[in-house]
Amino acid sequence: MPDQAPSPGGPAAPVSRPAAADNEAALRDSLKRCSSATVEAAVAYRKRHNPELLPSIIIGIVERFVEPDLRARLGSGDDDLRFVEDLGIDSLTMMEIVMLVEEVAQLQIPNEDLRSLRTLSDVKTYIDCRARGLPPPKPSKFFSIEHLVALMPIQPPFLFLNEASVSSASASAKYRITGQEFFLQGHFKNNPVMPASIMLEALGQLGVLFLLEGHVVAEPGKVVGPGTIYFTGCEGVRAHRVCKPGDVLTLSVRPKRMKLPLATFEGSIRVGQEKAVLAEEITLTYGYVEAPPPEAPLPAPATTTHGTNGSHGSHAANGSAGTNGSAHGTPGGSAPEHFNLPEN
Amino acid sequence: MPKVFITGIGFITSIGNDAAAVGESLRTLRHGMVRYPPFDRPEVPVKVAAPVREFSTDAAECEDWTLPERYRIRREVLRSMGPCSLYAHCALLQAIADAKLAEADVSDDGTGLYAASAGSPAILTRLVNRMHEQGAMRCPPLGVVASIAGTVQFNLVAHFKIKGASTGFSSACASSSHAAGFAYDEIALGRQRRMLVVGAEDGNVETILPFAGMRALSLNPDPDTASRPFDVARDGFVGTGGATVLVLESEAEVKRRGVTPYCEMLGWGQASDGHNVAISHPEGDGLARAMRRALAAAGCTAAGVDYVNAHATSTPIGDISECRALLAVLGSEASRIAVSSTKALTGHGLSLAGAMETGFCALALRDGFVPGSAHIRQLDPAAAGLNIRRETRPAALRVVLNNSSGFGGANVCLVLQRA
Repeated sequence: MPDQAPSPGGPAAPVSRPAAADNEAALRDSLKRCSSATVEAAVAYRKRHNPELLPSIIIGIVERFVEPDLRARLGSGDDDLRFVEDLGIDSLTMMEIVMLVEEVAQLQIPNEDLRSLRTLSDVKTYIDCRARGLPPPKPSKFFSIEHLVALMPIQPPFLFLNEASVSSASASAKYRITGQEFFLQGHFKNNPVMPASIMLEALGQLGVLFLLEGHVVAEPGKVVGPGTIYFTGCEGVRAHRVCKPGDVLTLSVRPKRMKLPLATFEGSIRVGQEKAVLAEEITLTYGYVEAPPPEAPLPAPATTTHGTNGSHGSHAANGSAGTNGSAHGTPGGSAPEHFNLPEN
Repeated sequence: MPKVFITGIGFITSIGNDAAAVGESLRTLRHGMVRYPPFDRPEVPVKVAAPVREFSTDAAECEDWTLPERYRIRREVLRSMGPCSLYAHCALLQAIADAKLAEADVSDDGTGLYAASAGSPAILTRLVNRMHEQGAMRCPPLGVVASIAGTVQFNLVAHFKIKGASTGFSSACASSSHAAGFAYDEIALGRQRRMLVVGAEDGNVETILPFAGMRALSLNPDPDTASRPFDVARDGFVGTGGATVLVLESEAEVKRRGVTPYCEMLGWGQASDGHNVAISHPEGDGLARAMRRALAAAGCTAAGVDYVNAHATSTPIGDISECRALLAVLGSEASRIAVSSTKALTGHGLSLAGAMETGFCALALRDGFVPGSAHIRQLDPAAAGLNIRRETRPAALRVVLNNSSGFGGANVCLVLQRA
């Protein structure tokens, strides 16, 4: 078939579908560093295309790229694990993961979609939608402290979110206990401990952010008013761990029920992989106000961007995380890294 | 102008993977050649190479490479490297320790890094093949930075957090001498306090065997005689790889840190043949002018020189050109000044050669010996009048020259002096 053969010495025609993609042996070779369960699941997926197999395949592929000392985290079943901060995966490794996922699932993930995949849950949801032929979810939005202060009705020193991200299905945030919080002077005497009530307050604040981000069905021309939201109650609260200055709280809330005027979330706080607080229900009241005129925008929070745009000449995405200038680099020892892109 | 000193060296070479082993090989004329297993096929006319020991880097994926226990490199660091970058990484760790540099000295606005390597043709080949077979989007994201010329400095500058000047040099077998020369300039001009000079090559089938096509490699199957510069029966060079890193520092830095240098670098010179793309000038014209410029820049004459580490690669034409250049420049001192080619022991390291042999000269100056030119049974008549030393002898050396010549007729001469 001379019309399909690349001309010798000339540029080869772009290959839209890898010639070996349907070849099981090639698939097994590509996955040879993954667990055998992952390989078998991938082979089975190729034959039957059943989307239920994809989550465990994705975890298996991610596991192959996570440094051995961090792999235990994947076994925790926590879908909120973030690739960069929790698994030490940088944007270039993310591309390697995506290439393998693409090969297994036989689909192409565009760069702009890739940038919004920040957590395991993001990837699982995204691939599941793609495999089922559904539109992928909207990317989550990332909020820096400046964005939060501009947006939230709650302000320092009583704002217990340092950064947050919000998707249509959940919101997550970080708060680092500095030790400078005024209430720690008395809670307790010579023993600063973050009050459980304040941690519930922090989860409530994350719920406020979720409501303000418009992921509730509002009446036309109306939005949730920042001044309308109050804490009304919580159920099933358990505190598992004493949290002290230096601890970084990872907060997350998921909506359970939304019916004006009540919004109910389930919430959790972790420190690293340790459970700190679980709340089966946190309920806020909210109300609507007239939508503000469009010419008074808040500072635009950036959509989470995962550096995958390697088109910037010699600098593809960013450097690798955790490389401490020698062969003795401490695993995970470097500061959490955000993907930096030229357009950031 | 500030004086420049060599204060640290790291070696990953066919004759040793640290300075102690290299020094011992130079003193005992222990060579690094073997019957190279990848050449053990009937269609390969070349049989001997001088591979790096203790490392195995032929596998397509870096996770399948093996390296000595003392080097532990994480996958996310390794994945952007070819073998040359890996060797350079290990040699740089040695050189930093040897020079007693703290992390803050290495990652400092006053510290730069110049490197020389031909890149990793094996990795580039796999990358391009994969692109044609499976499509561009199925290629490893770091395939380009792991393979193209420049991969050594890309990796080292990122992984060692170098903040000063950095670039690469590409003049084939003169590359790392160019790197050393321009690194000297950076310090002498006061732009940097310290420069890390790196020469590195993969030294595998893909970097060595293509030279067979230009009839530059020795077809001699005997590892003990395949590389024999200045011998009348020489028939080509033996390929090698590895890495050498030199730490160059200003006098002020040497004093501030209180370290004892190997030697001083007095200056350097370069000149081009303007003759042929791959063949040296028959009279060694460019090399002779490079040596004269180097001596003038260093403010000395042949009368002060005690040893020349020749470029001589064991090719029939190249060695004669260099003999003629040496006779022309050394003049009446030619019969006194010791000359040898350490490529008889190491093989020819291409981009690595200049830095590696400068490292040998630094050892010779500090430890007081002239490395012998091994494997000479019958001296080429073209070397008549030169004092080619066949054995390693103790000698209190004053000034030493290191010659390098590359494709296109690029010639570099570096001048070193006892500290």
